[in-house]
Amino acid sequence: GLSTFVTKLFLCGSGSGKTSMRSIIFANYIARDTRRLGATIDVEHSHVRFLGNLVLNLWDCGGQDTFMENYFTSQRDNIFRNVEVLIYVFDVESRELEKDMHYYQSCLEAILQNSPDAKVFCLVHKMDLVQEDQRDLIFNERQEDLRRLSRPLSCTCFRTSIWDETLYKAWSSIVYQLIPNVQQLETNLRNFAQIIEADEVLLFERATFLVISHYQCKEQRDAHRFEKISNIIKQFKLSCSKLAASFQSMEVRNSNFAAFIDVFTSNTYVMVIMSDPSIPSAATLINIRNARKHFEKLERVDGPKHSLHMRMR
Amino acid sequence: MGMASRIECVFFSEFHPTLGPKITYQVPEEYISRELFDTVQVYIITKPELQNKLITVTAMGKKLIGCPVCIEHKKYSRNALLFNLGLVCDAQSKTCALEPIVKKLSGYLTTLELETGFISNEECKQKLLPIMSTLLEELNATGACTLPIDESNTIHLKLIEQRKDPPIVQEYDVPVFAKGKDHFIKSQWDLTTQQAGLTDYNTFMHHVSKSSIQYYGVVTMVSIFQYSNVYCTTPIVQSLIDNKSIQEECLRYVTKQGQKQANLRDVFQLYCGLTPGTTVRDLCSRYSPQLQRVDERRLIQFGLMRGLIRRLQKYPVKVCRDEKSQPPRLYTGCHSYDEICCKTGMSYKELDERLENDPNIIVCWK
Repeated sequence: GLSTFVTKLFLCGSGSGKTSMRSIIFANYIARDTRRLGATIDVEHSHVRFLGNLVLNLWDCGGQDTFMENYFTSQRDNIFRNVEVLIYVFDVESRELEKDMHYYQSCLEAILQNSPDAKVFCLVHKMDLVQEDQRDLIFNERQEDLRRLSRPLSCTCFRTSIWDETLYKAWSSIVYQLIPNVQQLETNLRNFAQIIEADEVLLFERATFLVISHYQCKEQRDAHRFEKISNIIKQFKLSCSKLAASFQSMEVRNSNFAAFIDVFTSNTYVMVIMSDPSIPSAATLINIRNARKHFEKLERVDGPKHSLHMRMR
Repeated sequence: MGMASRIECVFFSEFHPTLGPKITYQVPEEYISRELFDTVQVYIITKPELQNKLITVTAMGKKLIGCPVCIEHKKYSRNALLFNLGLVCDAQSKTCALEPIVKKLSGYLTTLELETGFISNEECKQKLLPIMSTLLEELNATGACTLPIDESNTIHLKLIEQRKDPPIVQEYDVPVFAKGKDHFIKSQWDLTTQQAGLTDYNTFMHHVSKSSIQYYGVVTMVSIFQYSNVYCTTPIVQSLIDNKSIQEECLRYVTKQGQKQANLRDVFQLYCGLTPGTTVRDLCSRYSPQLQRVDERRLIQFGLMRGLIRRLQKYPVKVCRDEKSQPPRLYTGCHSYDEICCKTGMSYKELDERLENDPNIIVCWK
């Protein structure tokens, strides 16, 4: 049978916002819904199926002082063992920067002792509360500090807000690190894109709409387009479900390009951008359909290799 | 005051939006150590599944009894108010009697918060401290307390002693006042008992079975007195020799009206004369000298009420299938003569005759 990979993601930080993030990414909340959430008491555990045989074991930790102190003392060994990913969330508005940094360092110490190979991500959260023209400055400053403080561990920093696409960028990057055969996926995606002459191909995880792989044949203007698309499509998908309709596929076309979004494998959606207007939709759709079986097999890590057969125009 | 244990501490715990679960007030101060609270806090300020339930947790030699309350509303920071007013006792103590108190308090505080914002308002919340002090003192001293909250609200609490459940009242049982009738001032009785009155037998018996007057030892049940009854002693009869106050009470109770007080030797001999096979009638004929100053009815009554003697009942058992015996369903060995007579309306004598003549019926004494 198939083996299942279980990955422990540890979501920690002395402010609020962690449960809101997790609810949006993994539990189909829209940002507005998260206003109703109560405080997290101690640790909330959830198991999320991701890409077929990957299970994300999320430890969402309450951020109040009493809990934080307990994590580093009586619960330390239990909590910090076998952590693959540490996601530390900083509230950008926090008035107690020193305390926040102190907790972060305690966390890193515990990680070094118990899970030294863990990947560390720092999210500077609630950026929407910062004036737009200040955001880059503040984030860069924080990033500097955190990188310095984290040595010898390295950390990847993101700025996030539940009110825009930055949330998707951070989480896409996080889960990307966890996909077991990501290189193979990317190679196949490139082959596929080149065969069908697509400008760009994106692969999304089906439930969360996080981008897990992409290929582009040339530079594009907006570096943030992936997360924007994740955000937009996910919201649209949720709106559809509120009307008891399920989102299946979409085609957007103008004189410059055609974009196709469709169900791909049992765990993914694909988005194909064609800038050659002479290629009819039907051809692209057939190509997408033919590619499915191949990618379905790729998703199972133990699956056999097949060559790709595509129909040309 | 009974067997309820001493309350060592009263605490009020809350979830603070940045500090998390903490003890806001405790009386006496510093009773619950930081370490103890850290160990048990997840059962004091709990996850949703454990909220609004009575929870007792034992750790580090202490028992903490609380009821975590959650009031959800968007006006509260983090959309809910979480708190817990609880009691601390020694780990070895019996705390069942305290449970209803904790539950009642949590209900009161919830209502107060919903109606007046008592807990979420910092000023009002401070009133909790003197209330908690009074609670601790009075409950420990007298088992009851009265807590004035403000002009319109007062909380009354009382510790209920845990007693054994009384036996079910049967139709053929006879109620007897366990303590002197005049002992109880009528106004102290609850409304239903007062209203029941003592006029109609059935109403009264119904009331006795449904109310708590039996539970509190006000009324006790004994079986009906007949000269044909058979009794035997129990080991408790020894207390007549050992216990001076029982002796005195007994002699006072059993002495015939107008006579000099009976002596202990006679009374004890009479009790010991009650054996299987000996009816009260037999006792009277065998021990007539001893009965000169003793009222046999009252002798039996006192013996039953105090458990010095017990009644031996006759239980008919049908031994083979025979349609002629009736009513068959009562002859299982589980229903006494008293019960059968009561249910069928037959007299003792009638029942006896009927059963004597039936070769399929065996009578057991127990």
